Amino acid sequence: MNRLIILACFMLCGGQQLVAQKVIARQGRIAFFSYTPVENIKAENNQVLSIIDLSNGRIAVSMLMNAFIFEKALMREHFNESYVESDMYPKATFEGELLDFDPLLKEVQTRIIKGNFTMHGVSQTLEIKTKIDYIDGSYEVSGSFEAMVDDYEIKIPPLLAGNIAKVISVDFKFEYEPYQEE
Amino acid sequence: MSPIKKNKIVLVIVLFLAVLSGSAQDLLQILEEERPEQLQYAEATFKTTRISFGHSVETRKKGILEIFVANRFWDSPAERSQGFFADRLSTRFALEYAATDRLSAGLGGTTWDGIFDGFLKYRLIRQSAGKDGSPVSLTLFQNASYYSEGESDPAIADAFADRLSFTTQALIASKITRNFSLQLAPTYVHKGLSFYGEPNQDHFALGVGGRYKLGRHLSFVSEYYWLLNPAEAPQTYGPFSIGVNWEIGDVMLQFMLTNAVNMVEEAFITGTRNNFNFRSPNLNFGFNMAYVIHFKRNLRNLPQK
Repeated sequence: MNRLIILACFMLCGGQQLVAQKVIARQGRIAFFSYTPVENIKAENNQVLSIIDLSNGRIAVSMLMNAFIFEKALMREHFNESYVESDMYPKATFEGELLDFDPLLKEVQTRIIKGNFTMHGVSQTLEIKTKIDYIDGSYEVSGSFEAMVDDYEIKIPPLLAGNIAKVISVDFKFEYEPYQEE
Repeated sequence: MSPIKKNKIVLVIVLFLAVLSGSAQDLLQILEEERPEQLQYAEATFKTTRISFGHSVETRKKGILEIFVANRFWDSPAERSQGFFADRLSTRFALEYAATDRLSAGLGGTTWDGIFDGFLKYRLIRQSAGKDGSPVSLTLFQNASYYSEGESDPAIADAFADRLSFTTQALIASKITRNFSLQLAPTYVHKGLSFYGEPNQDHFALGVGGRYKLGRHLSFVSEYYWLLNPAEAPQTYGPFSIGVNWEIGDVMLQFMLTNAVNMVEEAFITGTRNNFNFRSPNLNFGFNMAYVIHFKRNLRNLPQK
């Protein structure tokens, strides 16, 4: 019976260790750019949340669409009101996996992140080449990818078609710290 | 197996499952719990600072200069008139600047009635969701206007101070659905000049306005001001409008049909001489254009990591 209790304790502790093997980024940065001959549109979100479960390489990202800061205040209003419709779809999320990620490797590794990116109520499978750096005991994940406006059912009126690029380039950078679970 | 031992095994299994389910918790779920609580403000109750002729609760964001040109076209009642497109035209040119996200000021001049006006607009409460949020937006509006036309009637006192009129409004609006917004505007007007021996210089009115979004960039708008104590003579009518607002990037266009000739608050609220119908000169075609210039660039000075 005593042995059973010890076993239970061991399992609990082991489990706790597993749980503690998560890292979180609370001020992740995502920026996107739309370059056209008419107008360049640039926006940045400094409040992106991301978490990695180091035990299995699973990663999740969540951001509020209305937290994007634009060069012009009116662009932000148009972005939220007319394009991504952030009252109906307030968040964009990503859920996926860091393929072949080795959390014990204390140097730069380039890996593929594969998963589903959901924005404007539309999910797309993405494969993103990512740089994972290990700096001062924490991970830093950065990379970039391109997103087609059409893929997310975002409609651009013909009159403004020249102002907004069909392909938007997205940069991201997350600095993680150990995640303490209550 | 003794019942006690059996219980212990069950306990261990339960503990194990509890630990397992804890570690397998959905990552996105964790992120949701990590997100700091924030009030989500209702964006764009109206798309412009005007519903049609009257002010809306909206103010421009800090550092935006709006170049605002409002036009009214109408026909003279003459049987045969030879004006091209329209017999008469009145234009109000104005510059409106947002000093902060809440405070705006504007200066304008109108060609037809010779009224020069200035206003201050302060966004006091913003509509937001959640238990600490407000279901309505409240914007305070104050203007002063100067009537510059010559006055030949010696019975009318027309010193500088007599020519000033003031309008005070509390603009209360709610974005009820994502497409439909409604605004109430209790209004107080102090008229400067008193024509025809009108003793009543203080007027109260209630404005009602709404917009319905027809598309992402186009909305249908209508507005009416109900004057509680109109002047005794000449007879005036409540200004009414129906129209559409259309936004194209940095340009906002408003098209409307209205019976209000004037474009400054005190003048169209208390001085609209014609009722709304399709006869000349009652019917006015209104066309407003606003062009915004951003003097504040938000991505400058943003902390870079």
